Amino acid sequence: MLLLQLLINGVQAGALYALIAVGFSLIFGSTRIFHFAHGATFTIAAYVFYYVYSLLQLHWLAAVLAATVAAVAFGLAVNRLVYTPIQKHEGSFFTVFVASFGVGIIAQNVCGMLFGRAFVSVDTPLSRSVELLPDLYVSPLSGIAIVIALAFFAGLQAFLMRTHTGMALRALSDNPGLVRAYGLSPQRLSMAVFALGSLLVVPAAVLLAASSGLQPALGHHIMLISLAATIVGGVGSLRGAACAGLLLGLAENLALNWFEPQWSEAVTFIVLFLFILFRPAGFFGRTTVS
Amino acid sequence: MLAYLLNLATLICINAVLAITLNFIMGYAGIFSLAHAAFFGVGAYTAAYVAMHASASLFLAIPAAMLVTGLLSLVLALPALRVRGEYFVAASLGLQVLAVTVFSEWKSVTGGLGGTIGIPPADLFGHAVSDPVEFLLLALACLVPVILVTTVLLRSSFGRSLKAIRDSESAAHASGKNVAAIKTLSVVFSSSLAGIAGALYAFYMGFINVESFMLDTSVLLMAMVIIGGTGTLLGPLVGTVLLMALPGLFSYMSFLPQTEIGSIQQIAYGLAMVLLMIYRPGGIVGARSKGAA
Amino acid sequence: MNAAVPAPAPAAQAAGDPHPVLLRIDHLHRSFGGLKVTNDVSLDLRAGMVTTLVGPNGAGKTTLFNLITGHLLPDSGDILWNGRSIVGQRHFRIARLGVARTFQDLRLFDHMTVEENVLTVMEPASWLWQPGGRAAQAARRERAHGILERTGLAAKARTRAIDLAYAERKFLSMARIMATDARIWLLDEPASGLDRGSYEHFLELLRSHVAGGVTVCIIEHNLDIVVGISDRIAFLDQGRLLADGAPDEVLKDPHLAAIYFGDQA
Repeated sequence: MLLLQLLINGVQAGALYALIAVGFSLIFGSTRIFHFAHGATFTIAAYVFYYVYSLLQLHWLAAVLAATVAAVAFGLAVNRLVYTPIQKHEGSFFTVFVASFGVGIIAQNVCGMLFGRAFVSVDTPLSRSVELLPDLYVSPLSGIAIVIALAFFAGLQAFLMRTHTGMALRALSDNPGLVRAYGLSPQRLSMAVFALGSLLVVPAAVLLAASSGLQPALGHHIMLISLAATIVGGVGSLRGAACAGLLLGLAENLALNWFEPQWSEAVTFIVLFLFILFRPAGFFGRTTVS
Repeated sequence: MLAYLLNLATLICINAVLAITLNFIMGYAGIFSLAHAAFFGVGAYTAAYVAMHASASLFLAIPAAMLVTGLLSLVLALPALRVRGEYFVAASLGLQVLAVTVFSEWKSVTGGLGGTIGIPPADLFGHAVSDPVEFLLLALACLVPVILVTTVLLRSSFGRSLKAIRDSESAAHASGKNVAAIKTLSVVFSSSLAGIAGALYAFYMGFINVESFMLDTSVLLMAMVIIGGTGTLLGPLVGTVLLMALPGLFSYMSFLPQTEIGSIQQIAYGLAMVLLMIYRPGGIVGARSKGAA
Repeated sequence: MNAAVPAPAPAAQAAGDPHPVLLRIDHLHRSFGGLKVTNDVSLDLRAGMVTTLVGPNGAGKTTLFNLITGHLLPDSGDILWNGRSIVGQRHFRIARLGVARTFQDLRLFDHMTVEENVLTVMEPASWLWQPGGRAAQAARRERAHGILERTGLAAKARTRAIDLAYAERKFLSMARIMATDARIWLLDEPASGLDRGSYEHFLELLRSHVAGGVTVCIIEHNLDIVVGISDRIAFLDQGRLLADGAPDEVLKDPHLAAIYFGDQA
């Protein structure tokens, strides 16, 4: 039964990782900006949810709304206040990466200072697990996580296929050099991308907070997952990032069948490494030489 | 006071080796590694293991540390550098995380979470280096060659290749440079020297545990290189001195809550990184970057 | 850069072909997603001749360069260097075989000095030092200096590439390719934006190297330049090679002119 339990946990985690990874991949694929602070978006969303729901004791809807506003505002702010000025005068990969990294450090430590570095859990009525079968504990959150992830992916798909902005973003994923060739202004486009990418993080942040709890250091783990999923899935492929996120969630949990919990992060690294060794293009990426 | 200064100076020397070697790959080759603390740790644990199970002679411990660290970096670099640069960041982050887990779990070698205690003092030609002044001289004796070797390399054809790769990888390829091989070589070189710092650290402290080799340390080292100024010879030294002296400065500011000093420091580093990248990407020492303007 | 491939044997030249084929592109195909950027292109680059690639924007000219140099892998087709296939070889190996290129956006080593830009091209070995020791190093420096003289950059040897004027940057790009000692030069819009004087200087440099045996393939938009230097013209449009022949044939074709000028929005 343990394996089945781990499988369910894995799918739940995987669904949420898929959301986060797609958010990162969307941003990176379209703008080529290495948004290392994506992990911080997650941390902020999760902590705001925690604050409004557990500490202020408001309705969960208000908490989710607050988290959404915080995440999107953060993503947009970082793009507007940090990335845009940098790209105006130099904008090399290094400069952007370092600045993003700096933002991530600041956000993580501010959360740590405000909420403590210890692990906090968010107790919701849906967090309690129910014993479905002997030794099989499933909380309603598992089902909700999967449904929500699917709903968001469907929504994202519709957005990318049907709207003008969406189609521009899709073309960009393939060929970032086309930014200026499209009728859409680059600034508006990057705003849309950051808003969207940060938005995708929110359901994952809320559900992960409700199911496994959170601590400031989680941001690094989330970042590793986002990076790994983007690479394993193939840079530029959103479908790939989603599949890879699912794969990593499954791998992380299934590994518990054989290894101690401390090694779960190591599993992510090993999966990433194997792909870099044998299939650097990832699931759906294209093989170019350089 | 003297003891404090000697301690600070020694730690500055050790961290300077780390900053200089990190700058070698970040500032000159454009390779971003979040795993430098992991290599620092591997060097430290290797030296400690050798000192406690074989001999505390520096002539054994230091080469051993360099060898193990170099080999490990090869394992990381060979696959990760043949592909795009962003992959190396991801792989190095993963390696750093993995290393911390290994340091914490491999009890027989690293002592697990408790760390390795009772490391004997370094042995130099039969003389045990335990006096703080002697150790500072030893640390300097390691730092100076590191500075010399890296400077000579950076001024040579290899340094030009690194800078070419940093400035335009595709043009470097088109000029016949085996970019992957050059990058791999620079990573191995940089990590092996980081191993020396690890060995020194292990002998100096007499006790090491995983806390010194976590992602936080990688972040601190990155901050030293960036704030001091990447791609310059003086930058990492300036950055190291500044960031090592800062904690002392912070503890003087009694209005800051003492329990949060660690977080405040990190926030200061993060803020410095962001502001520098916007206004002065070259760091303190670097020239004001002339962009496309 | 060493020519690892021997020069064409005198016997082959005596067999009546004054311009043997150095590089052969054979039915090359390449797509990006659904877009066919290179569509069944076959082209010969002959020794000692200047071939110009013309065509409207987006015709796939730079893509063709990327395919030749190994920056991109073709979906199908072959590229033969002196009869041997080079498809799939690493970018830098093809460069070492003697295929050098410039970039439309120059891609100079901006934070290095002019002198270092030229020197580093002559130092392809990956180890910590170059073979030959001090003597070879001195020879390289002298050769670099000579090249800087010929491109008019000697006075700016210690200037950072990023601090150069536009025309100087173009000439540094030429200096780099001159330093490679390559048999084939792929030049991507090398003369665009140059004033009259600089343009004449560039032409003179090019002609002297072609006379010395270099094979050149240029991408160029400016028809004056095209007419001034081409031995052959290859016309590309939407990934397909529409014409390949002597300049007067290709340029007089009204159909091609319509495509070319029709697309000049």
